[in-house]
Amino acid sequence: MKDEVESREDRVGKLKGLGCSRKRVEDARFTQGKGNYVDDIKLDGMLFGDFVRSPYAHARITGINIDAALKVPGVLAVLTAKDLEPLGLHWMPTLAGDRQMVLADGKVLFQGQEVAFVVAEDRYAAADGIEAVEVEYEELPVLVNPFESLKSDVVLREDTVDEDGAPKDGAHGPRKHHNHIFTWEAGDRDTTEQVISEAEVVAESDMYYHRTHPCPLETCGCVASMDKVNGKLTLWGTFQAPHAIRTVVSLISGIEEHNIRVISPDIGGGFGNKVGAYPGYVCSVVASIVTGKPVKWIEDRMDNLMTTAFARDYHMTGRISATKDGKITGLHCHVTADHGGFDACADPTKFPAGFMNICTGSYDIPTAFLEVDGVYTNKAPGGVSYRCSFRVTEAVYFIERMIEVLAIKLNMDAAELRRINFIRKEQFPYTAALGWEYDSGDYHTAWEKALKAVDYEGLRAEQAQRIEDFKAGKTRKLMGIGLSFFTEIVGAGPVKNCDILGLGMFDSCEIRIHPTGSAIARLGTISQGQGHATTFAQILASEIGLPADSITIEEGDTDTAPYGLGTYGSRSTPVAGAATAMAGRKIRAKAQMIAAYLLEVHDDDVEFDVDRFVVKGAPERFKTMKEIAFAAYNQAIPGIEPGLEAVSYYDPPNMTYPFGAYVCVMDIDVDTGVPEIRRFYALDDCGTRINPMIIEGQVHGGLTEALAVALGQEIAYDDMGNVKTGTLMDFFLPTAWEVPNYETDHTVTPSPHHPIGAKGVGESPHVGGVPCFSNAVQDAFRPFGNVHTNMPHDHWRIWKTAHDLGLHG
Amino acid sequence: MELNDEITINAPRDRVYAALNDPEVLKRCIPGCEELVKHSDTELEARVVLKVGPVKAKFGGTVTLDTAGAPESFSLTGQGNGGAAGHAKGGADVTLTALDPDTTLLRYDAKAEVSGKLAQLGSRLIQGTARKLAAKFFENFAEVVEERVAG
Repeated sequence: MKDEVESREDRVGKLKGLGCSRKRVEDARFTQGKGNYVDDIKLDGMLFGDFVRSPYAHARITGINIDAALKVPGVLAVLTAKDLEPLGLHWMPTLAGDRQMVLADGKVLFQGQEVAFVVAEDRYAAADGIEAVEVEYEELPVLVNPFESLKSDVVLREDTVDEDGAPKDGAHGPRKHHNHIFTWEAGDRDTTEQVISEAEVVAESDMYYHRTHPCPLETCGCVASMDKVNGKLTLWGTFQAPHAIRTVVSLISGIEEHNIRVISPDIGGGFGNKVGAYPGYVCSVVASIVTGKPVKWIEDRMDNLMTTAFARDYHMTGRISATKDGKITGLHCHVTADHGGFDACADPTKFPAGFMNICTGSYDIPTAFLEVDGVYTNKAPGGVSYRCSFRVTEAVYFIERMIEVLAIKLNMDAAELRRINFIRKEQFPYTAALGWEYDSGDYHTAWEKALKAVDYEGLRAEQAQRIEDFKAGKTRKLMGIGLSFFTEIVGAGPVKNCDILGLGMFDSCEIRIHPTGSAIARLGTISQGQGHATTFAQILASEIGLPADSITIEEGDTDTAPYGLGTYGSRSTPVAGAATAMAGRKIRAKAQMIAAYLLEVHDDDVEFDVDRFVVKGAPERFKTMKEIAFAAYNQAIPGIEPGLEAVSYYDPPNMTYPFGAYVCVMDIDVDTGVPEIRRFYALDDCGTRINPMIIEGQVHGGLTEALAVALGQEIAYDDMGNVKTGTLMDFFLPTAWEVPNYETDHTVTPSPHHPIGAKGVGESPHVGGVPCFSNAVQDAFRPFGNVHTNMPHDHWRIWKTAHDLGLHG
Repeated sequence: MELNDEITINAPRDRVYAALNDPEVLKRCIPGCEELVKHSDTELEARVVLKVGPVKAKFGGTVTLDTAGAPESFSLTGQGNGGAAGHAKGGADVTLTALDPDTTLLRYDAKAEVSGKLAQLGSRLIQGTARKLAAKFFENFAEVVEERVAG
């Protein structure tokens, strides 16, 4: 009887479905220290492996003596390339179509490179063993600058040249030089050149997007356990893509895929760092096979910052042309991409520079051309997408800086310049000059809302007054107004153009409804803090009418979860979220037939209503999903097999294109170089909002990492290839001390092709945040002649900018 | 990384010069020096324990002296291997100026390059430590020479 009096609104509320700020179900275990991370895994007889790493950035190895190390108490084995060679495992394929040494094969190409793997009874014995391994190095000239590398006679990768020293073709075609990796082009070169050469106004800028690192709090690691009795390998690890890791391990080890079980337990942040396959995984597997015991490998902080998956390191040159009135006519971008010693970028195979060709941004730019040259240097490999879809942060930084540079050239307000060039609402779906089809957007509405919220005109007036006061000697603080409008391209992706190592980038969801009306859903993705267990249950709750609290979400175990390509590039909601909705709809379709049978009407005479099927026109006659679930298992229904389960593999028809409008207000002390963030306003449009509280958390996190990158976080090398920022003393991680209060806001423009209209949000704030912080710093100095200065804008560099502009008198 | 400083030693220049070539003196003065063997007039081999922040390592290395400018100037180059802790190499030019017959001004210009863990700890630590070690060496040196002259 209760159901009859319960309002529809109450029933919706009980589901905690789409739009509900449901508390994260994961947090109970995380806040109580009950999480289960890879380093929490302890198995009987487990050994510990760790690396002897190269102190040099470029050197030939003339000898490795492991005798003394083997005498260290507790040390069981020391693996070198020679041990891996008979297995064909001394090199491994990278995600970018190159190959990478697992253990140094005759030479080292970056500082910290893995030279030997010491396997010992515990971490401490392994550390002692590492000290005892004697490696003879013969130093070679070091190349840390990609422009010098392209001119140098020094061959970094002897395996990529033929006998005459000429470069062999690479995975992406011909190479121009022995240290060149690929050239990748998009757009129309000739037309772009012509448009720019004939333009009324052209603005140009060189910019370096420095090398940085995702630096998740939990470093990378794994536990490999080879059971010699049943021939099964179990591999626990910090994998953002467990299924892809299983396939890759199978392909390179020859172990059949059904004999490999990969498990991603709780993961303490990934941000792209945990997408790739690392030598530690291969060595742990080999060591477990050799010793017959489980072997654990866990990076320390220095290992993580120095060796696994850096991000960015793009030297970009831009030219942008416009009419005198500010209408953009063309854009040219050249990138020299520093990929380090091996090309281990994590990008879809056909996109060696990721989606850098989204660099026309949110603007209706009729003609554009992009060219990217990848280059080998003596730096660590990687090139992952740090809290962004593939190279999208670089692309958005580029265009948002070019807009500012053009605004200076035109002597125009940068907000106005954006306004007159935005893609208009009625132009969607919009095909950009570099090929992408933007699904939906309403940029003008978002922009006006943002500018109004911060009182943009008022801020500019205040800034003008501040400049006068500064010139009059009344203040030593300048005011910067940072603007940024970004469009992301996420949710990779359609299998027709997106694969990694040949693995199509679909994703999946498998649902089992239990007889009493609760459920478990398993997905091909893996949460690293995004809150999947919370939000995917909400998607499902709205689709199948069972409360989110009654739905368990499970990911990360390849023996139980359906195949999927994992979590990165904001792809979980656009792809696996869509699969979840589609699988839910299959459940609902079967439930409809069961309901019709139970209600003794035709299938077409019942309709879904929140948590039940009702007879059309007679809402008092209904069966709840809970009742239907029980009947599905326990009632013989003619023509319908028992059970209530569904699987969906979802290949999205297109990417999704979240967007947003950000404004940062900053006061900068010109004498100390210290920026003080007075205000940060972030409007995000991620389409349908699943859980506003989680969105807000994602925005706070992404903005904080944006602040880090813009204002100080970098992986810096000296001329000898030494990593100068290998610890958290030198590598900037913002704390509560540096982080301002964020104001969040939103508009909602659903994706037309996604089943629930959601676009993904985890990375938007990072993508939009970096240029916003940077533009604020640069805007403060614009009245004094600044056009562009490179990030990271740490105190010293800001001070230097002020100094170079003559502001120190 | 570059280091330079000067120190006044209360000893005649030739005594200072001789001490710079004396392995016993050097061994006493080099912070952390465990062993110093003279192979020839210009070739020395040293074992030194170094501590930079959290990294402590035993460095084995060679030192080559250049005495061509005696007694006004003196150069040395050296390199050391600290295993997992890294590698260091560098050199120093030392000039000796007689301020008066019993006082010598010692000026040094040193250059050093480090790699491996030592370098990764960040230049601010390395620079400070190197400066401290150099200062400590010459402080010790002045003390030993003055002691000998007095004795």
